[in-house]
Amino acid sequence: MKNARKTEYDVIIIGGGATGAGTARDCAMRGLKTILIERLDFTAGATGRNHGLLHSGARYAHTDPESAAECIKENMILRKIARHCIDDTGGLFVTLPEDSLEYQDAFVKDCLKSGIQADVIDPEMAVKMEPAVNKDIIGAVKVPDASVDPFRLTTANILAARINGADIITYHEVIGFEKDGDRIVGVKVRSQRTGEEDTIRGKVTVNAAGIWGHHIAELAGVKVNMYPAKGALLIFGHRVNNMVLNRCRKPGDADILVPGDTISIIGTTSTRIPFDEIDHMDVTPGEVDLLLREGVKLSPVLATTRILRAYAGVRPLVADDKDPTGRSISRGIVCLDHAKRDGVEGFITITGGKLMTYRLMAQEATDMVCRKLHVDRPCETAIVPLPGSEPTAEDEKRRANIIELSTEQKAAEERHGSWTGKIESRSDSDDALVCECEQVSVAEVNYAMDELHVHNLVNMRRRTRLGMGTCQGELCACRAAGLLERHDKCTRRSIDDLASFMQERWHGMYPVCWGETLCEVQFTSWLYQGVMGLDPEDSKDIDPSSF
Amino acid sequence: MMTLQQQNISDNNFESCIKCTICTVYCPVTAVNPDYPGPKQAGPDGERYRLKKPFFYDEALKYCLNCKRCEVSCPNNVKIGDIIQAARIKYSTHRPSLRDSMLADTDRMGSVATRMAPLVNFTLGLKPVKLIMDKVLKIDDRRTFPKYSPVRFETWYKKEAAQVQEEFSKKVSYFHGCYVNYNYPQLGKDLLTVLNALGYGVRLLEKEKCCGVAKISNRCIDQATRDAVFNLKYLRQAVDEDDEVLLTSSTCCFTIRDEYPHLLHLDNHDVRDHVMLATRFIYRLLDEGKAKIAFKEDYKKKVAYHVPCHMEKLGWTIYSTSLLKMIPGVEFINLDSHCCGIAGTYGFKKENYDYSQAIGEPLFRQILDSGCDFVACDCETCKWQIEMSTHVPVLNPISVLAEAIDIEKTRQLNA
Amino acid sequence: MKFDNIIIGGGLSGLVAAIESQRAGRRTAIVSAGQSALHFWSGAFEFLGGSGPNPIIDNPLEVAQKLPPTHPYQKIGIKRTQQLLEKVPGILADAGIKVEGTLSRNHYRLTPLGFLKPAWLSLDDYFMINSPDDLKDKKYSIVNIEGYIDFYPRFLAHGLLKHGARCEVTAVDILALAPLRKSTTEMRATNISRFLRDDAVDALARNVNAASSGADAVIMPAVLGMFSDAPVQRFRRGVDRPVYFIATTPASVPGVRCQLSLRDCFTRMGGTFMPGDTVVKGDIEGHRLRRIYTYNFGDMPLEADNFVICTGSFFGHGLIANIDRIYEPIFGLDLNVDGGRTEWYDTNFYAPQPYMAYGVVTDRDFRPSLHGETIENLYATGALLAGFNALKEGSGAGITLATALHAASRII
Repeated sequence: MKNARKTEYDVIIIGGGATGAGTARDCAMRGLKTILIERLDFTAGATGRNHGLLHSGARYAHTDPESAAECIKENMILRKIARHCIDDTGGLFVTLPEDSLEYQDAFVKDCLKSGIQADVIDPEMAVKMEPAVNKDIIGAVKVPDASVDPFRLTTANILAARINGADIITYHEVIGFEKDGDRIVGVKVRSQRTGEEDTIRGKVTVNAAGIWGHHIAELAGVKVNMYPAKGALLIFGHRVNNMVLNRCRKPGDADILVPGDTISIIGTTSTRIPFDEIDHMDVTPGEVDLLLREGVKLSPVLATTRILRAYAGVRPLVADDKDPTGRSISRGIVCLDHAKRDGVEGFITITGGKLMTYRLMAQEATDMVCRKLHVDRPCETAIVPLPGSEPTAEDEKRRANIIELSTEQKAAEERHGSWTGKIESRSDSDDALVCECEQVSVAEVNYAMDELHVHNLVNMRRRTRLGMGTCQGELCACRAAGLLERHDKCTRRSIDDLASFMQERWHGMYPVCWGETLCEVQFTSWLYQGVMGLDPEDSKDIDPSSF
Repeated sequence: MMTLQQQNISDNNFESCIKCTICTVYCPVTAVNPDYPGPKQAGPDGERYRLKKPFFYDEALKYCLNCKRCEVSCPNNVKIGDIIQAARIKYSTHRPSLRDSMLADTDRMGSVATRMAPLVNFTLGLKPVKLIMDKVLKIDDRRTFPKYSPVRFETWYKKEAAQVQEEFSKKVSYFHGCYVNYNYPQLGKDLLTVLNALGYGVRLLEKEKCCGVAKISNRCIDQATRDAVFNLKYLRQAVDEDDEVLLTSSTCCFTIRDEYPHLLHLDNHDVRDHVMLATRFIYRLLDEGKAKIAFKEDYKKKVAYHVPCHMEKLGWTIYSTSLLKMIPGVEFINLDSHCCGIAGTYGFKKENYDYSQAIGEPLFRQILDSGCDFVACDCETCKWQIEMSTHVPVLNPISVLAEAIDIEKTRQLNA
Repeated sequence: MKFDNIIIGGGLSGLVAAIESQRAGRRTAIVSAGQSALHFWSGAFEFLGGSGPNPIIDNPLEVAQKLPPTHPYQKIGIKRTQQLLEKVPGILADAGIKVEGTLSRNHYRLTPLGFLKPAWLSLDDYFMINSPDDLKDKKYSIVNIEGYIDFYPRFLAHGLLKHGARCEVTAVDILALAPLRKSTTEMRATNISRFLRDDAVDALARNVNAASSGADAVIMPAVLGMFSDAPVQRFRRGVDRPVYFIATTPASVPGVRCQLSLRDCFTRMGGTFMPGDTVVKGDIEGHRLRRIYTYNFGDMPLEADNFVICTGSFFGHGLIANIDRIYEPIFGLDLNVDGGRTEWYDTNFYAPQPYMAYGVVTDRDFRPSLHGETIENLYATGALLAGFNALKEGSGAGITLATALHAASRII
């Protein structure tokens, strides 16, 4: 922060989601003096609360060919530049007996039109390829869907930005803008931790704050009409399916089942919600029931699979500027030059789009920044691999013997790709697992604390998957709190952080609190509140959305 | 709704794990071998990763000795041992070695060895032979091999017993297993003695092969499945004739009842309830007043009972111990339930020998301290291990009964 | 197979009921489906300690008088509860577990995170003080085992510092633990205790001495003596100042020792312990439970004159929750649950959770009912019972033990 105060930046990026991180990377790679400011933690918004689906674009082929074409293009790019964030599972669009096969015919045609490979396969073959799919399907199409880890992807973009000289500041909220006439020349920020206020100066500011960008724009004195659309999802305890399963029909509720890292995710619902709810989203029992009811049609085994959590994200739907009523929603990426649009110089909003197209969004925003700054450097984000995905000789050597490694070594390898070598194990004790469900070692925790902007347990979770497994922190939260405390040397804060983390985990568990999940949470409560005596007086004030 | 989310079915059984770590307290291997990841990590934790990609399989799972003590201790009924064994079968890329296949194929080894028993017993006891086996096959030279019998139990039975047994109006079938057939026919004879006195004739299955426990733990799954299908056919035949099928080995019994469905995925539900340990059958007869038993007055022994791991898992210890306690002249000592370390063929392997002995050490100490005349135990491999490690003789409870009952009186009581 | 009394559940409640039954000469069996919650024992039992900022210290018995009439203590009667619970130290001592404390006044234990919590009984070598003032100007040496991550010395130090104590935090290592350290998952308290035997104990004591000079006392994680007290005694003899242990999670060394000691005590008396078996159903005839069937025993039922059910709450599967209902799985006993799943929880993790107070409803004698009809020879105990939040009351062990002893008194 001290440096940031003194620096005159070329570009300030507001928002630490995939788009913000991608924009920071692109700007930094083009030689701009860049700073990214995030209100909470990276991926705290919609980036960390979606399916984690690397769309082939097939989903949009029928309704939105332009998005579909963008998706497949970005899909192919991300496979190259972000291989450690992507699990090439392949995807199926399946037709259930209650859906019509006619849709499949149109669907395949539309896919091919958008350049998406779509192979009709025999339903029986599909069941063989993906045994978790409903055996009664009457049609199946194979598409190049995959799963992408949004946490890893964002972290990699942040690392790339940093390598190229960008500054990164988390837990600072933008509370206003510095203006010079009609020109925005900086942002006022407030530290979430200390309440301290500061000003950061920059020639161009990019609003990449997702749904929160609505408010950011207001602070800048411009109006970008966004509508928050809530999407709820359920996380199942293990990988039920190894291919992405989509229902081949007009997009609806709970029709995609994605195998994410060690788990599977069914989603999503779609509900417009008022702005005052975007920071306090609860998944309702109705949404849980709906997700289950529909999910079971896609994959019947979900009926008997343990549900770990429920969560919801907010998509920013952006009103189309061309429609004077503001009612129709823009499709695809929206990149607004507020100088042209509203007469406010030095301010850009990048929104719309989706996780899939974050890189393209970043490119469009950065192109606009460069035009404003008269910088003429080509975008290289589509060809330069992200940190963790670059092939290095050392990496190759390590991976050559990978089959002999233990499960936890392999897990670290999957999470950090070619950067796994940076996880330094100084003694046997550093190899000890902190999080046993997700195989996170002391060394990996130390690495995350040193290198990946970790200030609390939730940050740690997003960087390493610690606490994301079956026990939801029961075994690892206190261990990790102990390590974090050793690193930060602030005991009081660490205990508060531990208390908050347990509340944050509970927030996702109570909507699905039955079966083993209830059993687990009772056990966790006994341990943390009973045996360990964790019983914060101000527990009512713990806000799960404040991470 | 709500036919949904009513329970976790067997395929997802590992999800019932709530990470309480209790299994790690009772795993005999973690205590001695740090290369073994422990039941929680090898079982449910590892399984989630293996389901993500088989690539996450860790070869260190081979150190699991399949004692199932993790399962007995689990408060959530997670089939931890099954998960680990199933993973070894499904994911290991290493092929079973010549040694493992040899150790696993008890039938072939047995049929060759019994034909030349004196020679084989002599040879297997020779230092140079043991050294060669140690160096070439990696079968530890410190291990004492069980002796082979010159006459197979089956041969003896057909020749000496079959006819008499047919004369009983009440009958049971006997799955004798490899050990009784090739190594120790006396145990089979003892069973006949006891059951005959109780008024039951004993017949053998028309055919039987090894139960397959050694093949399963050495991942010779195709052969194990073939043998199991073979056995189930003849078990079914006996059950269809209303026979209960008795065994004198807790491990064979456990394998047929539980490992067939859980690891070989063979449906045995129609025979499972009729396959049981002989001690269960006899206890039930006595408990329900369907038979009476009389003991010799001069039988006086101090007996220490060892609970084999698979007996603990079966939960049937009480049948064997109750029968032993019925014998008036028995001073009964209950040994702590503790794995002896051999786990079938596990302890024969050179790489496991030291762990095997370290695991059993507390048990050996307790046996030696107990001052017992002999150890009673329902498992033959525990017998080898305990006899080799303590030099205290080990008898199957059926053999103890055979020695302790007053045959004539018992026969009259049940006439 | 016939017993006088059968106890379903082998945790603290079941073991104590069974020991008392067997002691009275009744042929008693325990059917235990896996190990119990006792494995997470803190080393201290609570009677009524409260929670939050206002713990109950003086006169917990008087506070108990104000509990609602449906509370287990009130059902038994506070006076009788006191009489029953006063037997506990003796029962534990018979099993080789030495505890200190009294019902008339709570003492404090130190939690692994450094909080002081009220307790009724504590293991004699675990950290206990009568008042936070006792900590003033004390000098503690908090010694961890190098590389052990389930112990948080700095949290403890922070907690003690608040009350005026001074703490030094160190970690020691001994060669005997080198093999265990190679394991990435198994450096757990219970496994460490397996390696701390004989000479290793002396080596540890020497290193602790070197690390703690000048301190009034040493505080250490409970990593000694899972199977017997001997290594602990040897260690204490070797350390030249008082040593207090803090139980770590999960599974705790004192918890395992307590479980195994009580079980041994029961089997030594001639009781039958059936591990790893699950009761699947029972035959109830004429308001009496005649026999139960278990997974392992199959078609051979277990008969008894009386039964005690101590299967615990959700942990332990005494209760099972599905998406739309909560039930008691063996007999389908009547519960105090009403409402669907949104009624079961509070969105604040630390608030009193409704589900914690769910359980079987009983008559004043703790006999549960089925469709409103009391089962005359079945008694329920411990966490399975309805109508209290043991976590918030700080009453879990007290209720578990009092109801177990009450049930025992009815079946002997």
